[in-house]
Amino acid sequence: MIQHGPLLERLLAGDFICQVSDEDAFRHLSNEQTQQEINHYLRPLNRRLVSNDDHSVFYLGYHELNKNAREHLSSQFALTVQSLLPLLEWLQLVQETLGRDSALTAGDTIKLQEFVLRTEDNQSLRQRLQTLASDRFFNSQSEQLDSQVKLIFRRLKEHGYLLQPHAERQYYVVTGKIDYLLDVIRFIRDEEQLPVDDTPSQEALL
Amino acid sequence: MAPLDSTLTSNLFAIGAERLALLGKHHKALMQGYLDGQVDETTFSEAALKKLIAARILWRPDEQQPLALRPLVSELIASMVADENRRQINADVAEKLEQIRNRVQAYRDAQYKGDYSVAELQLQRLTEHVHDLSGQFEEAIDSLWHRLNSDFGFVSSLDEKIRENERAQKQLRRLLDGLDLLNFDELIELSEGNSHLRKLLVSQLQNQLSSHHSSLLEVQKRLVQLLAKFRQQQARSMLITNMAAFLRQHPKYQPADYPNRSELPGLFNQASAIRPQAAIALDKASERDILAELLQALPKPNRIELPEQHSASFAELMVDEEITARQQALKTDVENFYLKVIDLGGKLSALDYLNEQQLSWDSEIWLYQILADYQALPREEKQMFAIRRDEAPLSEVNQLMLIRDIQIELRAA
Repeated sequence: MIQHGPLLERLLAGDFICQVSDEDAFRHLSNEQTQQEINHYLRPLNRRLVSNDDHSVFYLGYHELNKNAREHLSSQFALTVQSLLPLLEWLQLVQETLGRDSALTAGDTIKLQEFVLRTEDNQSLRQRLQTLASDRFFNSQSEQLDSQVKLIFRRLKEHGYLLQPHAERQYYVVTGKIDYLLDVIRFIRDEEQLPVDDTPSQEALL
Repeated sequence: MAPLDSTLTSNLFAIGAERLALLGKHHKALMQGYLDGQVDETTFSEAALKKLIAARILWRPDEQQPLALRPLVSELIASMVADENRRQINADVAEKLEQIRNRVQAYRDAQYKGDYSVAELQLQRLTEHVHDLSGQFEEAIDSLWHRLNSDFGFVSSLDEKIRENERAQKQLRRLLDGLDLLNFDELIELSEGNSHLRKLLVSQLQNQLSSHHSSLLEVQKRLVQLLAKFRQQQARSMLITNMAAFLRQHPKYQPADYPNRSELPGLFNQASAIRPQAAIALDKASERDILAELLQALPKPNRIELPEQHSASFAELMVDEEITARQQALKTDVENFYLKVIDLGGKLSALDYLNEQQLSWDSEIWLYQILADYQALPREEKQMFAIRRDEAPLSEVNQLMLIRDIQIELRAA
């Protein structure tokens, strides 16, 4: 267990571990033996390893759902639901601003400067960014485009959706937590049978 | 027959060379025509246009249409520059196979007749056909790999990429069907009894085609994987767009209370953070050094020293033993001075006392210490003594008062 000390600490702190955020740790976690060992170790702390359906991201959940656990999960869930729309709008905005033909996925790189430059000259993108920045999830008070963008990216970094490989350099890498977010959305959609399609209609295919 | 053949050949050579030169002569205008889909007739002279049309490089598809490159020329360019938008894949194997059969027959006929020069020529043509067939697959495979490796980057949208990928898969299926048409039993039969033919049709062609076959299967596998990736990306984009639209339309939307379900979905089981804290173990002797180091590394607080409230004796702050001893001696002498005043019961000048007792103190320090001791006395005791400073201004212009002497008098109780 000794060699997994730093990993355990990250997991306990509530980090999501994916191939982007920590490649070595992710490899260890993909090993069933290690999973068992970690679960065994976490048992007295009422924690266990959880992963999404396609095992692209790992995090800690409760082993036993006592009252405290439920309470925490409820407030966590409320936060997640609240963050859905701002995160989705951010994903759309990045895709459109950078002229990408597909949605962001884990491992994609975003250069902050490029994003600012492209937003600067486009009134409608600016408008959307402004609205997004003032959403309470990001909660920017600034009027400046540059600081709005910086704040948005910093918040996403704090929430674990982005990784900043170098503290001084303004570029970010999308982590596997984005996959988790989409899994959550897919789950809610399926459970609640929301009219939200993700397959092109037959006409579009023909 | 031979002389006629050679004139034909030399004729062919002359015309071919001349027409190839035409391509080089007008290379820029023709390439522009390739990119635009039509050529700008004004860039050519009339004679040049005629020559280009006669050489079957340019044509007019329709009377109303502008001049354009002939499809074969476009295809040549596309293949030379690996332009995957325009590159064609020829999967027609049956025709080539038919030609090979005919050539083998003609070769055998010529050999039978003993016409060796014709047989030689037929063998050469046959070799070309075999190479053509193999080259056709090679070109197709090159084009497919090229498209794969660039992630279909030559089209911009994901939808187009998906369509291009599907088109590539169809081409690939046709190529594989074409390969199936090749029956090696037949080729073995065709080459029976002739080592040249066997080498050409069996060992060489078979080798090449089997390697093409495995390449094609590899390409097919990759194409299918890539298509799945494209579809996944498409699904993600659509999910994001549609879910965002839904949430915008239903701002009050609240999903069910999943965290309180008896069967908690794993996705929502996200435990609260635990941050392990640790401190230095004081019971561990080996960690004392570390602790000491840490202590030393602590930034020193910039405290403002507050003046202490006790005795105003200025020298008390000094710690040096010798100085302390002298300080003590001074204090004792000053105390004796005060005692003398009490004994005397009257007025006593400090400097007179200093001279009288032949003490070695500097007069200024002596006066200072007497003042200091006076100030340090408790209020009641202070009242027992009357102090009178013998002072005068420094000069007529400077009103700074200098103390020349001090007189201490015991007041009547």
